[in-house]
Amino acid sequence: MSARLDATRVLLRIAFRNLVASRVRTVIIGLIVLVGALIVVVGASLMDSIDRGMRTSIQGSLGGQLQVYQSTSEGQLELYGGLRGESLLDPIPDFARVKQVLSGVPNVKMIVPMGIDQALVATGNAFDVTLARLRDDVRRLQAEPGDAGARRGLEARQAHVRRLIALLSEELNQARVLVDPNGRDAAMRRAQRADLDRAAAPAFWTEFERDRLAGLEFLENKVAPLAMDSGFTFIRYVGTDVDAFMKAFDLAEIAEGQVVPPGQRGILLGKQYAEEWLKLKNARRLDQIKDKRDRFHARIAKEEELQRWVKDTRSRAREILVQLDPLQAAEAERRLRPALRAPEGEALPALLARLFDLDDANFDDHYRIFYAELAPLLRLYQISVGDVITIKAPGKTGAFNAVNVKVYGFIQFKGIEKSGIAGTTSVMDLQSFRDLYGYVTREKAEESSRIRARMGATAVSREDAEAALFGGGASAALVETTRAAAIDEKALLAGVADKRKTALAEETRAYSQEEIDAGVALNAAILLDDPRRLRESQAAVQAAADAAGLKLKVIDWEAASGMVGQFVLLLRGILIFALIIFFGVALVIINNAMVMAALARVKEVGTMRAIGAQRRFVVAMLLVEIISVSVVFGLAGAALGGGVVALIRASGGIPATSDLLFFLFSGPSLMPRIGGASVAASLILVLGVAIASALYPAWIAMRVTPVEAMSTED
Amino acid sequence: MSIITVRDVTKDYLLGKTQVHALRGVTLTVDQGEFLSVAGPSGSGKTTLLNLIGCVDTPTTGVVEVAGQDTSKLTERALTDLRLHQIGFIFQSFNLVQVLSVFQNIEFPLLLQGGLTRAERASRVNGLLEAVGIPEYGRHRPSELSGGQRQRVAVARALVTRPALVLADEPTANLDSQTGQNIIDLMRDMNRKDGTTFVFSTHDPKVMAHANAIVRIADGVVTGREPVGATA
Repeated sequence: MSARLDATRVLLRIAFRNLVASRVRTVIIGLIVLVGALIVVVGASLMDSIDRGMRTSIQGSLGGQLQVYQSTSEGQLELYGGLRGESLLDPIPDFARVKQVLSGVPNVKMIVPMGIDQALVATGNAFDVTLARLRDDVRRLQAEPGDAGARRGLEARQAHVRRLIALLSEELNQARVLVDPNGRDAAMRRAQRADLDRAAAPAFWTEFERDRLAGLEFLENKVAPLAMDSGFTFIRYVGTDVDAFMKAFDLAEIAEGQVVPPGQRGILLGKQYAEEWLKLKNARRLDQIKDKRDRFHARIAKEEELQRWVKDTRSRAREILVQLDPLQAAEAERRLRPALRAPEGEALPALLARLFDLDDANFDDHYRIFYAELAPLLRLYQISVGDVITIKAPGKTGAFNAVNVKVYGFIQFKGIEKSGIAGTTSVMDLQSFRDLYGYVTREKAEESSRIRARMGATAVSREDAEAALFGGGASAALVETTRAAAIDEKALLAGVADKRKTALAEETRAYSQEEIDAGVALNAAILLDDPRRLRESQAAVQAAADAAGLKLKVIDWEAASGMVGQFVLLLRGILIFALIIFFGVALVIINNAMVMAALARVKEVGTMRAIGAQRRFVVAMLLVEIISVSVVFGLAGAALGGGVVALIRASGGIPATSDLLFFLFSGPSLMPRIGGASVAASLILVLGVAIASALYPAWIAMRVTPVEAMSTED
Repeated sequence: MSIITVRDVTKDYLLGKTQVHALRGVTLTVDQGEFLSVAGPSGSGKTTLLNLIGCVDTPTTGVVEVAGQDTSKLTERALTDLRLHQIGFIFQSFNLVQVLSVFQNIEFPLLLQGGLTRAERASRVNGLLEAVGIPEYGRHRPSELSGGQRQRVAVARALVTRPALVLADEPTANLDSQTGQNIIDLMRDMNRKDGTTFVFSTHDPKVMAHANAIVRIADGVVTGREPVGATA
């Protein structure tokens, strides 16, 4: 025992002294090891952090830990959309059953039904909005004819509408230059022109004072549709059990407004979606310029993109002008003039031009003025909290379905507010999704059977159709129907009112959990009590689904994230590839250096062997040399890596320069963290490579015979 | 009592593509306490014979017994142990470990052996430093010493384990004649004091003269063994 100890002592002594004696070699090997450890530690810490960020982003926004969808589906589930739009999924016919079966699986905490799709949403325009306000004023004045405030409002609104009509007239004139006056729709266009001219005439407004409601009717039905900036935008939504959704996804938070009340229909618009698609373009541009300037230190003078945005902002000042009625316009002038230090009497268009004449010196100031002075007078978003919006989508059958849903609020995901990947997704109730998607909910089925019963419709098969229509009692049936239609106008109107009431009831009624669960979903997120047992639970969920005869496919959150997840895989692949190349080269260099060292010491090794050192002694000596260099420089490299990571953290992290990075980082910047595991892994890796590269030189040393010591050439 | 027995030993090896018959049937015994010189011209087989006796090589045929053990029956590891415990080596070019001090070079075999305390090792190493006449050089590195001093260190290292046998292959070849003389005198002293058996090869007649017997070797066979007169 003590023999081995003594031998070890002398072995270490010789090894260390050799390291010191051949400093250059030691330093070269050491630096390679150091850089290797540095790369591994920093790389692994970045990868770990991205991994964690992505896990947080995906699991906390839409993914949960597991996802299930119908295994017969043509496509794969891609929570954040794929290259070809939304996934082609077969519906899960009965979510309640899935919930019942999977709830029994151990470690399953929650199951959230989902249906992700895209739809069109009508955004309305300035004309619609102004007319709606006008109607409000008219109504108020009718209720209380002496209301001076309402009177003033009405006058201002009228002036606003007349200005909008004038602008519209101008636009229509411009448009007319481009079309053939004798073309297919010539008659229709002439009628439109006449309507607009009528609304622009002072006589119309004299008449308006006499019968406001009729005037409004005309404006809403004939004039408003002519406004050309009316439109639809696309919306991406997840239809879900909103209540369960908010509980399940801890990153989800209400940015404005409130959660859809339990069981009710309603939608929470994605905050980022609202920013990008619904916000007044000028406000959006200002936000973007500010973001670029603040986070990336971009300057208008230097960046072409910012210059383009500034130009865009100037040319869009008109959108603000049309929003303001004369009262508001005057208020805006009153506020802007002192803020911009403009000469007395400068009008709003000139003030706006002054406000949006942006450069690096005035930007922050003008940005503040815009939001403090002007924004409170503006409708910043095309859709506001409390609006009822119409969403249209092609259903299963190909025909368009439409639902009206109330906007209860804007939703965002903590940390990844700015990411379009999750932030543009809106959250809607499941019933509305089912309506849009064209899947019959129980009440829809009831309603259609009620209608069928009232209309006296009977199910007629294709073969019997002819007979039913033209057969025996045909004339009698026809007469009967005609008569019914002729005399029952009141009943029909009552029917309409009835229908309206049902629709209203449907919009505001609360659905029970059973009703929400009963019906289709496209996929479902599963949240686990212990996310670390993901693999085990994935197998258990799959087994339970199979055993119950549910045709479900169970995938983990990473797979469900689709392209986003693959990007991280790619990133990791690149890192690993780079490491393989680096360590491959390192292996060759270290190996070479150690072979040289072994060859230079053949005589010394031979002497030791002759004197009585065993083979293992000389092999150990060489390994001790390389291992101690690796450990010391590896630790130094890891420490340096830790320093680099700390430096990155101290400088505020790696900024997310794109949407994807925002999502991957789960925030505006990546704050890498050093993991004990990554440091250990880096040391093991570096050590492994070093030992591997010392094996051949060690073998050379082992083969040295004592005879070498005898050779006389020196 | 004989410490070395060499019986009908041949040794062939390949030098490139030609078979070299380095030894062609050598028989020799060395008794304990002898101070024996192996003499012969270059290529006569002196070094091969010493390698066989020193257990760094094994014979093609015949038997080599060192300290009672048949070397061809031992494993590589056992041969190494035999060298460590029974044999001391002195090399023509000294072969000291450059990164160790003089003291540590001498101590080295003791550490390989193990079993002695630090103090015991120190007293033995210091005693030998004294005996070989360089007591003040313990802390020096080999590179700081002259050739003669280095060979003195080598002698001390060979003797430190108190081996039964010390082998020296041309120990004076790299030294001037006076220094070589001194080294041989030193070895002779050690031989007398402790009774350690010395076998050394040389082709220098002056060096040979110090031995108490000379084995002459030529073309791989022993041509004679003659005692040297007491006139050492």
